[in-house]
Amino acid sequence: MPRYGMAIDLKRCYGCYACSMACKTANHTPPGVFWARILKGEVGTFPNTTRQALPVLCMQCEEPSCLEVCPTGATIKLDNGIVIVEKDKCMGCKYCMMACPYGARYSVESWESYFPEGLPLSPYEEFTKKAWEEKSGVGVATKCDFCREKIADGKEPACVETCPAKARTFGDLDDPTSEISVLIKHHRGEVLLPEVGNKPKVYYLAPR
Amino acid sequence: MNPKANGQLQKEWGWLIAAYLFLGGVGAGAYTIAAINSFMGESLEPSTVVGLWIGFPALLIGSLFLIADLGTPKNAVLAGMKPGSSWIARGTWIISTFMVLSLIHLILHVFMGIGETAGGRTILSVVAVAGIAFAVGTMAYTGILLGASKGIPFWRSGVVPVVFVISAVVTGHFTIALGMVLWGGGAVAAESFRLMAAEAAALVVIEVLAIFFFLHEAYKLPDPRESAERILKNRMFVIGYFALGLGLPLVLMLLVSLGMADAGKSTILGVVAVGSILGLVGGLILRQAVLISGALPTLNMAGFEFRRIARPKEPKAGIGLLPPS
Repeated sequence: MPRYGMAIDLKRCYGCYACSMACKTANHTPPGVFWARILKGEVGTFPNTTRQALPVLCMQCEEPSCLEVCPTGATIKLDNGIVIVEKDKCMGCKYCMMACPYGARYSVESWESYFPEGLPLSPYEEFTKKAWEEKSGVGVATKCDFCREKIADGKEPACVETCPAKARTFGDLDDPTSEISVLIKHHRGEVLLPEVGNKPKVYYLAPR
Repeated sequence: MNPKANGQLQKEWGWLIAAYLFLGGVGAGAYTIAAINSFMGESLEPSTVVGLWIGFPALLIGSLFLIADLGTPKNAVLAGMKPGSSWIARGTWIISTFMVLSLIHLILHVFMGIGETAGGRTILSVVAVAGIAFAVGTMAYTGILLGASKGIPFWRSGVVPVVFVISAVVTGHFTIALGMVLWGGGAVAAESFRLMAAEAAALVVIEVLAIFFFLHEAYKLPDPRESAERILKNRMFVIGYFALGLGLPLVLMLLVSLGMADAGKSTILGVVAVGSILGLVGGLILRQAVLISGALPTLNMAGFEFRRIARPKEPKAGIGLLPPS
C-alpha cells in the first residue's frame, strides 16, 4: 500500500491560484472554503524585497492532531495515509479545527450563494451544492483528501494536475525511486511547523 | 526586517462555547464549595443548599449551549466514543458523571434530607467525595479542552486550566453568594455575608495573580504574545473583565468584609449582590475573550512568514454584484 504525500517546489510556484480554482472545481467547495490555498510572504526592506507564495493544503499528517481530538471517531486515517472525515459520524464540534495548526479544516453552517442576497442559486451552484452535500455537507468538518476518488482512478489530485508551473509532485513516499522521494531527498524537503510534531506528508522544496 | 505576519483569529468558537465553559465552571465550582461544606459538617447550611441547587442545572444548561453550537447535533450521542485521545470525549464522560452525582447529592440532601441521621451523613459524605472529584475534573476540563488545542498557540499553555479552575471556583462562589442574597438573605446573618465576602476577595486576588501569570507566559513566544497583545487591547476584556469583573468586585467584597461596620443588612446584601453579578459577568467575558483572541500559528518557511488568507463566512460584497436596476 503506498503512503501518499506531496512535494511543492517553492522556486517554481508563482502564486497564480490555479490550484485553488482547480480544487474548488473538483471538490465543489462552497464560498469561503479553500482546501487548497495560497499564502503570500515578503522579506526585506524596500527596494530590496522578495515575495514568495506558499501553497497550503491539508498536510495529511502521519500523526494528525485532528484525528486525536475527534470525539466521535469521524476522522480516520486510511491505509494509504490520507486523513478523511466520515461525514455521517461528525457532530460538528469544530474541535479538529482548533487542533489543526495548519488551518486546513473548514465547517460551513449553510451553503450560501456566491451572489448577493435575494438571488436564487444559479444552475451551476445548484449542481455544486448537491455534489458538495453528497461528499461533505454542511454542519460537519471538511478537508482536502488528496482527491482520493481521482487517485483511485489512477489520476493525480486536481491541484497537481492543474499546476501550470509543475510545482507540485504527488506520489508514494515509501517508494525511494518515486519522483517525490527523489525530490525530497535531493532538495532537502522541509515541512511546516515541524515543532508541533504532527509529521506532515506535504514537503516544501525551499526557493534557494 | 521581516514584515509582521499575523496568524488568523479563530472564528469557529464564540459565545456559545464561552457560555458552555462558563456554566460548566460555575456549576462545578458552586457544587465543590457546597460539597466541601457538606463534607465538613455544613457549617453554613444555606450556602450548601444553594450550591447544590446550582450545580446540576448549570451543567445541564451549559451542555445545551454546547449542543446548540454543534453543526450536526443528532450525532452528539457519539461524543464519548474516543475518550482515549479526545478531551471532548473525556469531558463528555466527566461532565455526565458529575451531573449524575450532583443530582443524586441534591436529591439526597435537599429532597430526602438524609443528612439528619448518622447513616445518611455517611452516604452524603461518600457522594460528596465522588462529586468533588468529578467537579474538579469538570473545572479542569473546561481549561484542558483549550490547552490541548495544538492549532491555537495562545491556548496551548498549562496555565489555561489553572486559570479556568480558579475562575470556576470564584464564579461558583459568587453564584452561591448571589443565590443566598436572592433566596435566603433574610434568614442568613450579616456576619455570614461578611465571611463570604472575605473569601470572595481572597479568591479574586488569586485569580488576578493567575491571569498575570498566564499573560506573562504568553509573552514569551511570538504567536501567543500576539494573542496576549490582542486580548489586552480588547476593551471587553480590560474594562468588562479586569476592571468591572475583577477589580470592582474585589473592592466591594473588601468593603463588606472589612468596612461597612455600621451598614444595615440590606445594604450589605445589595453590595454583595452587585459584586457577585459583576464577578459572574466577568467570568463569562474572560472565557469569551480567551476564545476570540486565539489565533492560528504563523507559518514560516525559508525565511518567510506567511499571513493566512481570510476565511470569510459571507461572500465578499461586490462579487457577482448586478448593476442597480
